[in-house]
Amino acid sequence: MYPFHRQNASGVDRRGLLPHHDATVNKRHSLAFTVLSLLLAAAVLLAVGIGAVPVSPASLVRLLLVKLGVGTLTLPNERDITILLLLRFPRVVAAMLVGSSLAMCGVVMQGLFRNPMASPEILGLSAGGSLGAVIAITAGVASGSLLAIPALTIVGAMLAAACIYLLSSSRGTTSLLYIVIAGMAISSLFSGLTSALLLFSREYQVSQFIFWTMGGLDGRSWQHILFSAPVLIPGMIVLSFFARELNLFTLGEEEALSLGMRVETMKRVLLAIAAVVTGVAIAVSGPIGFVGLLIPHLLRFIVGPDHRALLPASALGGALFLVLCDLLGRALLPPFEIRVGIITAILGSPYLLSLIVRIQRRNAVGAK
Amino acid sequence: MSGVFLRARGLSWAVGSAVIVDRLDLAVDRGELVGVIGPNGAGKTTLLRLFAGVLTPTAGEVLLDDQEIAGMESRSRARRVSFMTQDISQVFPFTVMEILLMGRYPHLGRFQREGTEDLARARRMLSYVGLTAMEDRGFRGLSGGERQLALFAKALVQETDGLLLDEPSSSLDIHHEDRIFSMCQELAREGRAVIASVHNLSVAAHYCSRLVLLDRGRIACEGRPEQVLKSEILDRVYGVRTVVSPSLATGSLTVTVVPRDTGAAGTPVHLIGGAGSAVNLTRELYRLGCSLTGGIAHEYDSDEKLWRSLGIRCMMVGAFSRITDEQIREAAPLVEQADLTILCSFPVGQGNLGNLRLASLARRLVVVKPGPEEVPRTFFSQEGKTLFEQVCAGARVLDHDAIIAELEGIRDRPAVR
Repeated sequence: MYPFHRQNASGVDRRGLLPHHDATVNKRHSLAFTVLSLLLAAAVLLAVGIGAVPVSPASLVRLLLVKLGVGTLTLPNERDITILLLLRFPRVVAAMLVGSSLAMCGVVMQGLFRNPMASPEILGLSAGGSLGAVIAITAGVASGSLLAIPALTIVGAMLAAACIYLLSSSRGTTSLLYIVIAGMAISSLFSGLTSALLLFSREYQVSQFIFWTMGGLDGRSWQHILFSAPVLIPGMIVLSFFARELNLFTLGEEEALSLGMRVETMKRVLLAIAAVVTGVAIAVSGPIGFVGLLIPHLLRFIVGPDHRALLPASALGGALFLVLCDLLGRALLPPFEIRVGIITAILGSPYLLSLIVRIQRRNAVGAK
Repeated sequence: MSGVFLRARGLSWAVGSAVIVDRLDLAVDRGELVGVIGPNGAGKTTLLRLFAGVLTPTAGEVLLDDQEIAGMESRSRARRVSFMTQDISQVFPFTVMEILLMGRYPHLGRFQREGTEDLARARRMLSYVGLTAMEDRGFRGLSGGERQLALFAKALVQETDGLLLDEPSSSLDIHHEDRIFSMCQELAREGRAVIASVHNLSVAAHYCSRLVLLDRGRIACEGRPEQVLKSEILDRVYGVRTVVSPSLATGSLTVTVVPRDTGAAGTPVHLIGGAGSAVNLTRELYRLGCSLTGGIAHEYDSDEKLWRSLGIRCMMVGAFSRITDEQIREAAPLVEQADLTILCSFPVGQGNLGNLRLASLARRLVVVKPGPEEVPRTFFSQEGKTLFEQVCAGARVLDHDAIIAELEGIRDRPAVR
């Protein structure tokens, strides 16, 4: 009757010998990852090719092959090379980096706070980062060093993360709404400070300021990649090391503690890394809304809630989403560009509304 | 030291000025199923949290195999003690199997995935708790009871010598409650230490090998169920009036709460029964709080057994023996001090003829008019019938319900109905 010492040799429970659960899950995951990667590759090709000056995919592939040292094909013309290498590629890479970072931070926030409505922008990390950037601009240090803005966006995001950490630790059990409202309060505090700074800023700074309220990817160069990638890529890799801890967080902090996880340390580490990653991503693109909220949800439908799959899948999905949104912004009304933050907001807000309605309905039924 | 599995020494936990657990000493060894009982807010959950190492004591210590738990590496602690909380909520769509496998966390390295062994163990535990076909079901789609069973399975997947369960059956039906506690007994027999907080005292008495009664953070009483579950102890701790009696079906103790203030509370009533005729009335009047006496009863009669189990004072004679005049004289004070003497409906033979004589001594006598499903009043001799008619002459004849109504109305308490 009691099964601890019983082996499965008798054939009573043959299913124990066939790990079909793992097999089907793995099959579904590898399919999802393959499709996402192919879509991302296609989106990148498309985004690099489409623009005010169209570049044919053929010359694109030729350029890539030559640059990789494969074959001795003739290079496309000089103008195409310039457009591709100095304008389109850095912009697409920036979109990928920012998209992955924000989406992964969204996954981390949602898991950490067991809250499907959490994300870097909802919990105020984006607003904190923006304040840091605007301080760098108005104080004039931004023109002095390229690293001034990312340094201050990190500080701002960390500050917001510290606020959220203190607020969430002051209560034993946090309801879904509590942490969201706390985040909103932190967000409006930092946004208010940002607006106040505007009053003291000079006119040429205002246009830079607008960048920090909307977010965009126009004019991103290799310089931006150069300072951000060495932080963002290791940051994302480290975040994905803590996938199983995020799984445990969803059981509740007490369960996680009893399973031997050091909850408080983990919470601080994850929040700090998420704040750094969010801060640097924002330094590249300005605050781009809804990526961190939307992408984790969409991918949870596809790969399930296990963070070991959800984190990398969200990185791919976030990159894909932002590359496509940026492409949409450039292709919709040429020669005008719609900033990518506007596109994500327009696509994201209906989703947020439907999410709130769904959560409300589920709570009304009583199955929390 | 003594090699006890879990031991609390001077254990305290306070938040601000509120002391939740107060200098508590307790030792629990392998092979025990210990039930922690006590009123709400007595500190049951906090005590379990301290034992699980989820809370750090503000004073004192918890020792796990003589090693202080606060200084232990958290994962090695989690390989020895598991804790099932009352939290069964989950916001993300994990499957049951995914939840169960989280129980392997303390056994796996950072980059190690769950292997075939882990999966097989999770499956065994799932079928052990009776959720065999549910591994791919969504955890959120389960009923509250199924979630509790799944989380119990997760605690077993954690593979620990100690199991701490915080009200493991709070949303289970009686079938699943029996299952989960039978499993706990089995786990204890296998050499594990199981500590469960339990609200239902009868359940605690039935399954646990030892009970710890907490009252405002301290141990009010500790020991085998029959040592702890006593009305005089429970009444003080819970602040209610309780009846503790062995269950007829299982022999284990059942605890029932009876109302404190009824119109009839304290009214001295004497019951004359036999052949089980007084059982129903005894229960009703006991519930009303009457100050009951009984007799003369024959030993091993079901009336006598009930009276004895409720601690009701009664006169008794040997089984099937004849009631003598001397015994009537002895019982007379009980009848004389009673405001009301109730003569139940029982067959009258030579042996219990004396009970009719006893009834004639009553200050106020009520004769029970038997209902259709009660013991009929029959007479084996003309002598009995004549005597009964004499006794009845000055008495009222009321049925069961009328007697209760009369007693409840004794002090004219306005009924809220």
